[in-house]
Amino acid sequence: MATIMWMQQMLEYLGGARDEPPAGFPVAPGDWWFWALWWGLMALAILVFSGQSSKFIYIDF
Amino acid sequence: MSVSKRQLIFSLAGLLLVLCLLDRAVAWMARESYPRRLMSRLRETPGAQVLALGNSVIGTGIVEASLDESLGLGRENGTINLGMGASWPVEHLLMLRYALGHGLRPRVVVYGFYDFQLTHPVELATRDLIGNNAMLYYVEPEYARTFYRLSLHDRIEFQIMRYFEIFADRGAVWLDVERWRRAISQQGMPPEKTSALGRANDFTLLEYPSASAFLEECGRASQLDLIPPVREIVRQASSAGSRVVFVEMPMPPAHVHSFYDSAAWAGYEAHVRGLLDGLGVSYVDASHWMPEESSFEDPLHMTYEGAQRFSRRLGEYIRAAPPTQ
Repeated sequence: MATIMWMQQMLEYLGGARDEPPAGFPVAPGDWWFWALWWGLMALAILVFSGQSSKFIYIDF
Repeated sequence: MSVSKRQLIFSLAGLLLVLCLLDRAVAWMARESYPRRLMSRLRETPGAQVLALGNSVIGTGIVEASLDESLGLGRENGTINLGMGASWPVEHLLMLRYALGHGLRPRVVVYGFYDFQLTHPVELATRDLIGNNAMLYYVEPEYARTFYRLSLHDRIEFQIMRYFEIFADRGAVWLDVERWRRAISQQGMPPEKTSALGRANDFTLLEYPSASAFLEECGRASQLDLIPPVREIVRQASSAGSRVVFVEMPMPPAHVHSFYDSAAWAGYEAHVRGLLDGLGVSYVDASHWMPEESSFEDPLHMTYEGAQRFSRRLGEYIRAAPPTQ
């Protein structure tokens, strides 16, 4: 249960819903490489899934 | 906890690097997109004598080998089928220009169409520019822009997006995602009927919702001129010395009975025919050539066997008919 709570807090922190990371979270705000990668992955997720509202009729052109 | 200005700048620079890598990844995924493969074929086949232009109805309707056989052409100087699914006359014009620009001088340019394709103005939004339409971003974009309308918002968006593959070819990623979604949605379900281009039932969405709506559109469209990209296809192909043949493509019996067997469609057809006659174009009404339902695999497209038979008949017709009639 504690692990689940910790993961919830971690996801909330990554998602910006809370200001402080859970105890033991290994990434500091100053770890710029992590945050660059994290936001890059977010951009990828947007790119991959943002087309779902498009009308796809032709799947093989 | 706080972040220093320096750390923030480093994070943003790192993010920019990740986005650049994503941009290159999308470019790599789109390197073999259908328009690019067609353009590659055009570069490698300068002796092609017949070009077939149009959307998926031509793409699936013309079998190159069958048309070549009936026209007495070999593969080296035969047909290139440039039909592209979900494309508009603007893309067809661009493909013709690409061919002519690379030295091709076809004897015959076949342009296949159905319904109101020749008179329906091309109005797009940037959200439509995916799949084959994405070529509007990278093949003569400024020239192409003169042939279709975008809102002010979309014009600005277009000018920004065209420089980044991550935007311009985003459809290459979405298509893969869509394939996964369809595969997942099929788990444990009865198999859906699919054609060469997608789910067969989806293509009913491209038809008019009712015969009355179609007939109403016939009346409206009979007042319209050919749209500029269609006129340009005729003009530029004729200037290159090609004989231009417009083909009203075969449609399934249900489509023919619901929409084409009407006085309104006959009136529209006569209108279009008159406009094309004035441009010296041959007109072939092949809409009734394939009366068997079994010749079609969905509400618009012929089966491969149906397309073979149609292509042979079209070749014989072109060979027998005088240049303009």
